[in-house]
Amino acid sequence: MLSTFLVLAAADDGVDAGKAIALALGIGLGSLGAGIGIGNIFGSMIQAVARQPELRGELQGIQWLGFALTEAVVFYGLIGGLLAYVLV
Amino acid sequence: MKRLLVALFGLALVLPSVALAASDTAEEDKGAFISEEWDLHTWIPIHLGPLDLSINKAVAYLLLGALCSCLIGIVFMRVKVGREPTRRQALGETIYEIAQVQVAEQGLPTHAIGRWFPYCASLMVFIWTVNMLGFIPLPLSDEKVTIFGVELPTLAIFAATSTLSVTLALALMTWTFTHVEGIRVNGSWNYLKSWIPDVPKPMLPLIILLEVLGQFMRLISLSVRLYANMLAGHMLILTFLGLIIVLENAFLAIFAVPFAAVFYLFEVVIVVSIQAYIFAALSAIYIGSAIEPDH
Repeated sequence: MLSTFLVLAAADDGVDAGKAIALALGIGLGSLGAGIGIGNIFGSMIQAVARQPELRGELQGIQWLGFALTEAVVFYGLIGGLLAYVLV
Repeated sequence: MKRLLVALFGLALVLPSVALAASDTAEEDKGAFISEEWDLHTWIPIHLGPLDLSINKAVAYLLLGALCSCLIGIVFMRVKVGREPTRRQALGETIYEIAQVQVAEQGLPTHAIGRWFPYCASLMVFIWTVNMLGFIPLPLSDEKVTIFGVELPTLAIFAATSTLSVTLALALMTWTFTHVEGIRVNGSWNYLKSWIPDVPKPMLPLIILLEVLGQFMRLISLSVRLYANMLAGHMLILTFLGLIIVLENAFLAIFAVPFAAVFYLFEVVIVVSIQAYIFAALSAIYIGSAIEPDH
């Protein structure tokens, strides 16, 4: 079972594997960073609202702006990975 | 009743995938249909010299989006507006208020709101409409299905904003307006000077290079953010449903369909609106910061 798998893997010249690794790294590292960032944003938002609940409305606009700006980082990684996957 | 609806919805999602799973696909690239979804085939060829203005799937969605966003404006904000607001008028006023308070006043200086509010508000409504149309199954696709002898396009979800050309055109518009407005208000030399912050002399060439690069990065980040968000949303849904076909196992639907449905809801409820808001708000901020550089 394992040996046939290894033979199959060796038959491939490794290009597809490289592409897959590029895509996975792009998404994986991108979402790692964005995960930390989004966690920070919502954590700070909770703290801020807990301290000054009357500012909630004003903070919400900034919160979503920050969320979308941070979340986009994943997709830069994803697009980089997809470029590697499709074009190379 | 509600449970029945949910069950029916789930069944409606499962059935086509089972039918597709039954049909044989080529052994080599079973997952190819996912990226084929973004191949734009020409429907009506229109060529003006070197310009290719052919109508394809994305253009059809864009036209529909333009029509729908005009209708949103007319129906909610123009038709029979009175002192005592109906529910329709209240919704229209809510849309207007979001565009005014959350988008325009965030970025634009007070004296420029009159000039640039219409642009930012229409950007918000248009992008929201196109994004939203991208999550409503519409009979606008390249695949054909025969029902009772009539060949009809299959229902499909496709967002025009998940093609880079569309978002790049929108971002280019904002980018051009930013610089035109900056030069018009401040004069070209003052405007260019406002890019450069106060730094020691030896650092100047590096900073100038970075600032100029930053202006172009804005273009990329603005367009790629919207594009990649919509692309990734559709791709996730398609991949989860596609797993059923790729692995040729209809029972995977038990896991794949709920996951796809959750992502679908996440996209429809949060991402669609946020991306429209972000694009409009950032446009307002960019234009505002070009008009009053010191802010």
